[in-house]
Amino acid sequence: MQRFNFPVVQPDPALEELRAELQTFLREEREAGNFRPEPECWMASADTEFSKKMGKHGWIGLTWSSQYGGHDKTALERYIVTEEMLRAGAPVGAHWIADRQHAPMLLEHGTEEQKLDILPRIAAGECYFAIGLSEPGAGSDLANVKTKAEKVDGGWKVNGQKIWSSGAHICHYMVAILRTSPADGRNRHVGLSQIMINLSLPGVTIKPITDLSGDAHFNEVYFEDVIVPDDCLLGEEGGGWKQVTGELAMERSGPERFLSSYITLETALHQLQGKLGSDSHARLGKLIANLRTLRGMSWGIANLLHQGVSPETEAALVKDLGNRLENDLTQQVRALLNDLPEEEWSDEMRRILNIGILRSPPNTLRGGTTEVMRGITARQLGLR
Amino acid sequence: MINTEGMVAETAAKIYTDLCGREVPHEAEAGNYPQTLWDALAENGLPLAWVSEENGGFGADYDEVFGAIWVSAEAASPVPFAETLIANWLLDRAGITIPDGASTFAFLEGKTASIPFAEPAGHVAVYDTGKNEIALYKTADASAADGQALSPDSDRRLDFSTATPVASAATNLSRRAVEALILTVRAVQMASAIEAALNLSIAYVSDREQFGRPLSKFQAIQHQLAVAASESAAATMAATQAASALARNADDPEKAWHEAVVAKVQIGHSVEAVTVPFHQVHGAMGYTQEYDLHHYTRRLWAWRDALGNEHHWSKTLGAELAVTSPDQIWKGVTTGAWIAS
Repeated sequence: MQRFNFPVVQPDPALEELRAELQTFLREEREAGNFRPEPECWMASADTEFSKKMGKHGWIGLTWSSQYGGHDKTALERYIVTEEMLRAGAPVGAHWIADRQHAPMLLEHGTEEQKLDILPRIAAGECYFAIGLSEPGAGSDLANVKTKAEKVDGGWKVNGQKIWSSGAHICHYMVAILRTSPADGRNRHVGLSQIMINLSLPGVTIKPITDLSGDAHFNEVYFEDVIVPDDCLLGEEGGGWKQVTGELAMERSGPERFLSSYITLETALHQLQGKLGSDSHARLGKLIANLRTLRGMSWGIANLLHQGVSPETEAALVKDLGNRLENDLTQQVRALLNDLPEEEWSDEMRRILNIGILRSPPNTLRGGTTEVMRGITARQLGLR
Repeated sequence: MINTEGMVAETAAKIYTDLCGREVPHEAEAGNYPQTLWDALAENGLPLAWVSEENGGFGADYDEVFGAIWVSAEAASPVPFAETLIANWLLDRAGITIPDGASTFAFLEGKTASIPFAEPAGHVAVYDTGKNEIALYKTADASAADGQALSPDSDRRLDFSTATPVASAATNLSRRAVEALILTVRAVQMASAIEAALNLSIAYVSDREQFGRPLSKFQAIQHQLAVAASESAAATMAATQAASALARNADDPEKAWHEAVVAKVQIGHSVEAVTVPFHQVHGAMGYTQEYDLHHYTRRLWAWRDALGNEHHWSKTLGAELAVTSPDQIWKGVTTGAWIAS
């Protein structure tokens, strides 16, 4: 009996046409100087103009109905778009999170009015969402959230603080997990709900957090007596924990969990083609074999999602393997570059490599730490 | 996932379940060769699965047979089932009559080669890279070197310099085609053995108690096995991709070469990453002959070395990629199409 379900799925020629279209667009944008490629682009490179261009091409909101501004395509087409964006290191950070997880959440739990109002704007690359999970006292121990929503006439009154909210300073909404009723004794998973908060409401304060490189792409978000209308409760009151678990499985399964640093390798390959020595051949061969294998696993998961299966453990496995590979990739590129005298490195190479190194620590943290992933796998193995 | 449904795999599964219980590999190593297991496989024609109908086989699809190979490795097969499949595949393609009984194979680059199952296998099918020829020898006609075998499969270094083949024929099978087949079979065996050893490890830590609770309740143990499980899943993916490439390119196995090499590199590197924690969580028990773990770990150590180890293949693959355009590399990574079409 095989423990894990990773189907091997062959490429589809129709998808390869879409890939070619994306590659042309990205090459032209880059050559026109409209973006500079960066590692970890989906987290840390936001360009609202670029997002709007993608919206015009129909590359956001691929999977949802045209009734809500979507394009009636499949999760597999969406996968091709995301992996080509990652390969190019394109500035997709503004719309990425809304497209990936909040639009599907709204489709499932939103009111008709919200769907008609918000989804077309997400698909146009004009409306952005922030994740509202972590708090100062709730990181890996997410059930420890303290931010509260109290029932008031016609809505909810929110008080508390979220943290590490990437892009909140340019986002229009946050979907936050909030305590709407007390925990039931030791069971902290009850009484949590997901609420969509318009970040322009009175009482919301967003403060940037500067990362170790000097970038300020994540934030603290404070809520002080913020009144949110009733219909912003997404899903069931008290059902937030279960919804978040499903959301995280979705969040963990995409190609951004192993391709975030690929642009570093891509840039190095352009510099190093035909110049590598035999020690480097071994490094390159191993790295590419690892990437090919992870792509197979990740594509297998995309196909399961496409069939409506939610492979929580498989996603945790790929995230753990993929995050290690992303960081290893940057280290292997450092080694490969020894085959080229440093004065021959392009400025672009040096810039991308350094950004990659500086942005590597969160790979194994965000979306659930390596330790949390291993806990999920261990549970599936029957060890906990 | 390797598909273990279908006639060939299901027949093999039944035979291994009935005739290869956990004691059988132990007894085989003690000198009690499980002839009844081999006879059951042979009576059902399984070793001839990849042989064409004209040559007495039943020309099964690659896919179906890989399921049977997975099953045999899961049972730590002490008979050369996969090896005979490879030998017969080579002989069939050279138009050489398939001998009765178990066979093994060699990929000969000079005069000597490491041969698995050199004892029970009566014949060895040799692919000679220098002569572009496939030849059939009696195993006993080659001289065996003295040495310590890694696997329990009586692997020996055989010297063919004074042996005369029973039959030989020139072949138009390319070196890469033969490599694709052998590496893929080994990849499937390795992925299966890794998962079987993972299952043993999970069972052991759930049962064994220290400090008043099962080892499985210690986070340090959980995380070691979670990492091993992710390596196991990756190994299965790599093996399945290789098997699938071969199935798609049945008429031209050379086209499956890159995916087979990827699998060898991926899984070859995984072997250390899994056998270390498997032995670690078993403590001294895993080091004994009495316990079952070594039926898998010793084979894994031997298989990762067979036909060149993971370092050799990483270098071979990397040397080719080092002069390939970044666009083509990306195409290989995303679609498995490694050569410009």
